[in-house]
Amino acid sequence: METAVKLGFSLAGIIIMLFLPPYLDGIARRVKARLQYRRGPPLSQTWYDLRKLFGMPSVKPTKKALFTWAPYIALASAISAALLLPYGNVVPVDFGYNLVVFFYVVLMVSVFLMLAGLTVQNAFSHLGSAREMQVILTVEPLIAILYGVLAYNSGSLDLYTIMTGLHLTPSLVLTYILLAYALYVESGFVPFDIAEAEQEVIGGPLSEYSGRLLGVFYYAIYIKRFALLWFFISLLTLPWIGPIGTPEKAALVLALQFVLTVAFYPIIAALEATNARLRIDHVVKMNTRAFFAGLIILAMAFMGW
Amino acid sequence: MVNTKDLEAHFEFECKACENGRCAKADVNSILSERKGLRDFYEAFKEHIKGCKRMTYGQYQFVIDREVLPEAVLWWHNHPEFKETHLSTAVGTDERPLNGHFVYMPFLNVQVEFANEPENYWVFLRTYLLADDPSFPSVAEKLPAALWIEREVKDLLGFKPVNHPDPRRLILPEDWPEGVYPLRKDMDYRHSPITEPKVEFKEKPEDTTLVPMGPAHMGIEEPAHFRLFVKGEEIVDVDYRGFYSHRGIEKTGEGRLTYNQVLFLAERICGICGYQHSVSYAMAVERLADVDIPDRARYIRTLLLELERIHNHLLWVGIAAHMVGYDTGFMHAWRIREPVMWLVERLTGNRKQYGMNIVGGVRRDILDYRKEEILKVVKQIREGTKTFLDVALNTNTFIKRAEGVGILPYKVAKAYSVLGPTARASGRKIDVRKDQAVKTATAYNEIDFKVPVYKEGDVLARVLVRMDELFESLWMVEQLIDQMPGGDIMVPIGKLPEYEEALGFTEAHRGEVVHYVMTGEKNKVYRWKVRAPTYNNLPAVPEMLKGYHVADAPLIIASIDPCYSCTERVQFVDVNTGKVKVLTEAEFNELSIKYKGVF
Repeated sequence: METAVKLGFSLAGIIIMLFLPPYLDGIARRVKARLQYRRGPPLSQTWYDLRKLFGMPSVKPTKKALFTWAPYIALASAISAALLLPYGNVVPVDFGYNLVVFFYVVLMVSVFLMLAGLTVQNAFSHLGSAREMQVILTVEPLIAILYGVLAYNSGSLDLYTIMTGLHLTPSLVLTYILLAYALYVESGFVPFDIAEAEQEVIGGPLSEYSGRLLGVFYYAIYIKRFALLWFFISLLTLPWIGPIGTPEKAALVLALQFVLTVAFYPIIAALEATNARLRIDHVVKMNTRAFFAGLIILAMAFMGW
Repeated sequence: MVNTKDLEAHFEFECKACENGRCAKADVNSILSERKGLRDFYEAFKEHIKGCKRMTYGQYQFVIDREVLPEAVLWWHNHPEFKETHLSTAVGTDERPLNGHFVYMPFLNVQVEFANEPENYWVFLRTYLLADDPSFPSVAEKLPAALWIEREVKDLLGFKPVNHPDPRRLILPEDWPEGVYPLRKDMDYRHSPITEPKVEFKEKPEDTTLVPMGPAHMGIEEPAHFRLFVKGEEIVDVDYRGFYSHRGIEKTGEGRLTYNQVLFLAERICGICGYQHSVSYAMAVERLADVDIPDRARYIRTLLLELERIHNHLLWVGIAAHMVGYDTGFMHAWRIREPVMWLVERLTGNRKQYGMNIVGGVRRDILDYRKEEILKVVKQIREGTKTFLDVALNTNTFIKRAEGVGILPYKVAKAYSVLGPTARASGRKIDVRKDQAVKTATAYNEIDFKVPVYKEGDVLARVLVRMDELFESLWMVEQLIDQMPGGDIMVPIGKLPEYEEALGFTEAHRGEVVHYVMTGEKNKVYRWKVRAPTYNNLPAVPEMLKGYHVADAPLIIASIDPCYSCTERVQFVDVNTGKVKVLTEAEFNELSIKYKGVF
């Protein structure tokens, strides 16, 4: 019985993780359109776009295998990241020390995006990759520190244990705030979509991609964004709702996670719509400041605050 | 009614007829005392001045020796008293059929005092070049404003600017053969020879990477090729190659069109400031024909010019927002702009390319009941723009991107003869609407408006200058509606005098537009020279780009509101079946060479 429930929740998680992300993007497009007094595309538009891209062959400007493999590896990384997260009280793939793995696979999406840009002879791809690299190099240490605070706070490196074992301290509240910023940057929303800036570097690492491979990359990015948001939502909800003993409660929790994820996306879209893109040096500066703030939070956490 | 006679257009000031063609024997005293600075110039270059005349009100021409051309241009450009005097552009003319010489004629906008219309004037420095040796000393080394001008006459007429620092090809395409000069009179305008392409790009500085922006790039709406040499993300040097969409409009106008047909061609030079070109050209021809334009026509023209400025500035601020990824600003700016387009469509029949002008007036009257509609739209735009600015200027990230970026210092702006809002954002106090006598064609002299000037010289200053101008334009439209006089809207033009010259000019949204017209026989145009403001602004862009990020490049380029005037493809629509066929490149080339039935 228990394994069946577990299987059911895993399946629900997999379905959510595979199908929801493009709809989330659809929501964002609709919200942005409303803010710009436009009608906006249907919610499934991103799915239509992806379907179209999947159906088209890719033009390959290079013979390097990485060019072809990078989108698939990125997609695999993004999917693994999403599978490490709890859906209700079930984590589909659970090997322990999940936090480290989660950090690593999320990073892989960016890394392969960056490497893909470097496989082609295109100044814009290289510029975009260089920017992606600078963003990663400055935001990942910050995220690592914040994860450290979480791990220290809960005394575990396992994602689900962390989420159920957190206790409220001032440092945790600050961690939440800074984590929201860090995950937003990592997701590459405006004003942090610097690597793929269309007007400046024509899509950056993606500029040589087309057809199916481009579609796979987009899909990977949507799933990565979803995973980061789901992670944050889970951190926000799971610690404070008590132990989840029954499947009914787990289902309720899953519903709550789902609703909150969908509800957060319009906020992100509104932020995107009301901002101009920053420059890479602005972001590096901001991330560095945030990193030092993170160090202070870590120190606070060690002091037990 | 402003009478051109009041403007003393008939005043006898010609010493072409005097002995030896030298001014010294004519009654120069009365001539040279007309405006400040003329006598000083005459005294300074007495030995080399071979003749002089007044072309029309406020436009003086000296015939000088080519040896002293650089000194003469610099004398005016760097005049210690007339601070904002600038080299407007130069005209090259093939006058071999007339007198066996080529003519190279730089001209300057002399600003004796800002907004002092009766005092300011234009100075033309005409030099005759030998038919077998059309060389002249270059001034470009000391005056960057002349860089493109001299390369242009080199390309199109085969003149040789001696000691030009950058004698590469500017306008003609790479596959155009050497030694074929399209603007010479012995060249048929249908002739289009092609050879192997030869590309001349600037050498890449050491330790830099090349980032080619263009010819097709998301951040540049039209074909232009900026080659950015970067270290990391910082721009070290820039090379520019443009004119990919050069259409040879001047040659077409000189070919076989009558002066009224050229007017409609002039309107098609630009998709945004078409009416400015149209008015400028009409003004030049009206000066030549020496007619008085009815007041109502002048008011209608001014009204449309200002409406055009309003929609252009809104369009531009939208593009600027789009360039930094602020798409909400982009969408809203264009939403606010749209009613202007609808309004203009009601007034003229067209959203763009109004087709309202005709030499001697306008073609349609503004019906009285439409006035209310205009005022309604003006009110709507004012409120919409205020809200928009409130939001946009409080968007931190947008300000962060615009402030302190792409700085153009005053000195550089002056050296490059930068015009319009770009110049005014760098502290240049110039505006042809107030500076020069535009009153023969438009009604700017009878309405009240301010000219905003900022000193910062960055992109934000350019945004603010344009937005201030927008509000001024709205205010001007209201005044024009209030003061609109009755009466005729056009006056017929008789025969044009032969081989006379005049300049028409307006302050377009990007800076001063000048149209130089020299009449030929039988109401044809012998030489028509158009200079859009982007021609002066664009050479300064590399200066603005240096030292900033690649990320800033699209915004900086867009900040001068560049307009490359492009028409890129031809498509045939079969009206019976509705089939559309777009020509391939090969078909297009064949058509442009062989097809003779169109004109």
